[in-house]
Amino acid sequence: MSIAEILTAIQDSAIAHAISKSNHMVAAGLQIVHVMGFIFLLAALVLISLRLLNLVMKNEPMSVVRRDANRFFHIGLVLTVLSGTLMFVATPKLYFYKFAFELKMLLFVGAIALQFALFRRIAAQESPHPVLARATVGVSLIVWFGIGLAGRMIGFT
Amino acid sequence: MSLVALAEHVEQWPLAIAIAESRYAFPLIEGAHLIGLSVAVGLLFITDLRLTGVVLKRIPAMHVLHQLRPWVLGGFAMIFITGGLLFLAEASMLVTSAVFAWKLLFIVLAGINAAYFEFVVAKRPVAQDDQAVLPAGMKFAALASLTLWTLVIVCGRLIPYLS
Repeated sequence: MSIAEILTAIQDSAIAHAISKSNHMVAAGLQIVHVMGFIFLLAALVLISLRLLNLVMKNEPMSVVRRDANRFFHIGLVLTVLSGTLMFVATPKLYFYKFAFELKMLLFVGAIALQFALFRRIAAQESPHPVLARATVGVSLIVWFGIGLAGRMIGFT
Repeated sequence: MSLVALAEHVEQWPLAIAIAESRYAFPLIEGAHLIGLSVAVGLLFITDLRLTGVVLKRIPAMHVLHQLRPWVLGGFAMIFITGGLLFLAEASMLVTSAVFAWKLLFIVLAGINAAYFEFVVAKRPVAQDDQAVLPAGMKFAALASLTLWTLVIVCGRLIPYLS
């Protein structure tokens, strides 16, 4: 099965028809959930990052900040992935061949890998090496901000 | 001069034309608007959820508020600058958009709520105590903030759909 056939099969699925044939406010609703999820996710990441760099709450234990921020991060991740998947499923051919979409997905895979392979480990330490903490926060935020920028480009390219 | 005529005049400014005609400027500024929103409103949501006693309960509420405030304000500066630039490029469409008017109204109400919180609620002696459960006035202001900023985001995202 080629990629084109897979995309056609997705576009012809019952769920794709249900979304694309529905009122255009359903699509708007998915966009709103996607943005809200992204805000939750990024806010959690920024909070942990600021704490890691000792810019906020430096007298509070990392574990206290991390636990609630991670919950926020997971809620945001679930909301963005679910709404994003539904948007993609409705019109896969519209998205798949767009450079901005490809870039966003590439950055997303990188961000998730970075998040679980490095960021989590650094944030799990009470006093990580400052250079390593700064580098991890810097790269993570650049990649996640890049996802936001690439995401906004999708509608314009 | 009517509002629409004024908006059409604004759209002729060289900066407005440059943003509207560039292939990348508008989406990139929108992206920066979204990032600013995530920092400002995102951290504000965390502060509001602390005030309502949902998250970070082991950290004193006023401490969370004071620590995050400069970052929230910095994010807001970014939102207002990028929002202003986006407005220039689409001024005549936006001034006739009902959903944009709702967005502005909710921003004003959120501002009034923040000022009321800052200068009235947070000044009360009881608010200065480091307690897990906060006075009802604080919770109410935090819930109002959560609701109003959510409505601002919803209206903002609806602009291309309803204008």
